[in-house]
Amino acid sequence: MEEKVLAILNDICGADEGELEMDLELFDEGILDSFGVISLFVEIEKQLGVKFEPTEVERSEISTPAKIIAQVKQRM
Amino acid sequence: MTPYNGLLFFYIMVALLLPAAAIGLCGRKLKYYGLFFTVAMLLTAFDSPQKRITLLLFYLLQLLLCEGYSRLRKRCDRRPVLWLFVLLSVAPLVIVKLGGIIPELNFIHMLGISYMTFRSVQVLIEIYDGLITELSIFDFSYFLLFFPCVSSGPIDRYRRFVKDTDMRYEREEYAGLLRKGIWKLMSGALFNFVIGGLIWSEWIAKLAESGFAATVSYMYGYTFFLFFNFAGYSMMAIGTSYILGIRLPENFNMPFLSRDMKDFWSRWHISLSTWLRDYVYTRFCMAAMKGNWYKDRRTSSYIGYVITMMTMGLWHGLAINYIVYGAYHGALMCLNDVLDTRWKSFKKLKRQKYVEIILVIITFHLFSFGLLIFSGRLF
Repeated sequence: MEEKVLAILNDICGADEGELEMDLELFDEGILDSFGVISLFVEIEKQLGVKFEPTEVERSEISTPAKIIAQVKQRM
Repeated sequence: MTPYNGLLFFYIMVALLLPAAAIGLCGRKLKYYGLFFTVAMLLTAFDSPQKRITLLLFYLLQLLLCEGYSRLRKRCDRRPVLWLFVLLSVAPLVIVKLGGIIPELNFIHMLGISYMTFRSVQVLIEIYDGLITELSIFDFSYFLLFFPCVSSGPIDRYRRFVKDTDMRYEREEYAGLLRKGIWKLMSGALFNFVIGGLIWSEWIAKLAESGFAATVSYMYGYTFFLFFNFAGYSMMAIGTSYILGIRLPENFNMPFLSRDMKDFWSRWHISLSTWLRDYVYTRFCMAAMKGNWYKDRRTSSYIGYVITMMTMGLWHGLAINYIVYGAYHGALMCLNDVLDTRWKSFKKLKRQKYVEIILVIITFHLFSFGLLIFSGRLF
């Protein structure tokens, strides 16, 4: 599951494998924006069957790759 | 009586805030007194039987819709039903806006109708999403009518608001909130009345009616005026809410330091732009992506920006200046996105000090020109 989430994230952020560190602040660094979050939710639902409503999580709860993975885990 | 205007208003409000401060300092829950404060202040602001009846009818309609939908949602999760409820919820606002151009429809006049509609629609959408499962009549009423932000925001969110209403602050914690509240209320008054007032009387009011130089000067003056006026107003609303134990979200965050238009909208009228982001832009893009409406996913983002910004423009009113204002910002957001995605080094460039300064100056002029369109002086 972790690898899949990271692969989706790399794809959306246009990053190479291993480039995004687990604690990287994606919004502060300008890597993820509103559109990126939407793509992320849509892909996670498509590939992993885990659904996020648009206002279900605050940005602070999904601001790093590690936090995103934790949120997905909670819902599996 | 207009909220946050005139000495009498402030005398009444301060008198009614004193018991709130006492209750808070005793470490008690503030929500019951908070609702009393809200009703008392609403009766002060809505100072004629006609205004009070309009507000009552509007409130009952929204209460009925949200409570009704909250029950219905448990049995039916079809999207068209949500659309119907949203449509009914925004109907009074649409009539108000149409009343601006069609005299026959010019019969609803109500302070704060735009902002209250935003709150109600948000509740409906989150009921649909399954994020609001129980809607208490008390909490909903307090949220919808909460006086400090009733007329001009900031636009709060239901789940966030309810968390605050249920808080029982420790004495020290509340004392901190009270200090911050008073500070915000005072600085807001300084921004709004003193600085905003001076910009208006000493700068804008003295400009010629037309002419290129006067219009350019008006553009700068109006931008600063609107910032001090509106940010000041928001600070007063936030300050008042703090005293009642509710931490309304911030509405402005140094917009003059924005590096591009996306950055600008995360700093200017934040509660409106995040509302539109969450309930218009995101939903449109998500639906478009899931339904594969467009070959290139980015297309949905561009169309989403235009729809979102046009909604914002039209929400201000059905006049040509507001429509152009919406279209202008929609176009700028698309341009911003093209630069971000197509020009790979743009992001790196943005972080260099000297480029940053140039971008701040360009962005300032872009949004100032937008506000000049908004002001209606050009049309």
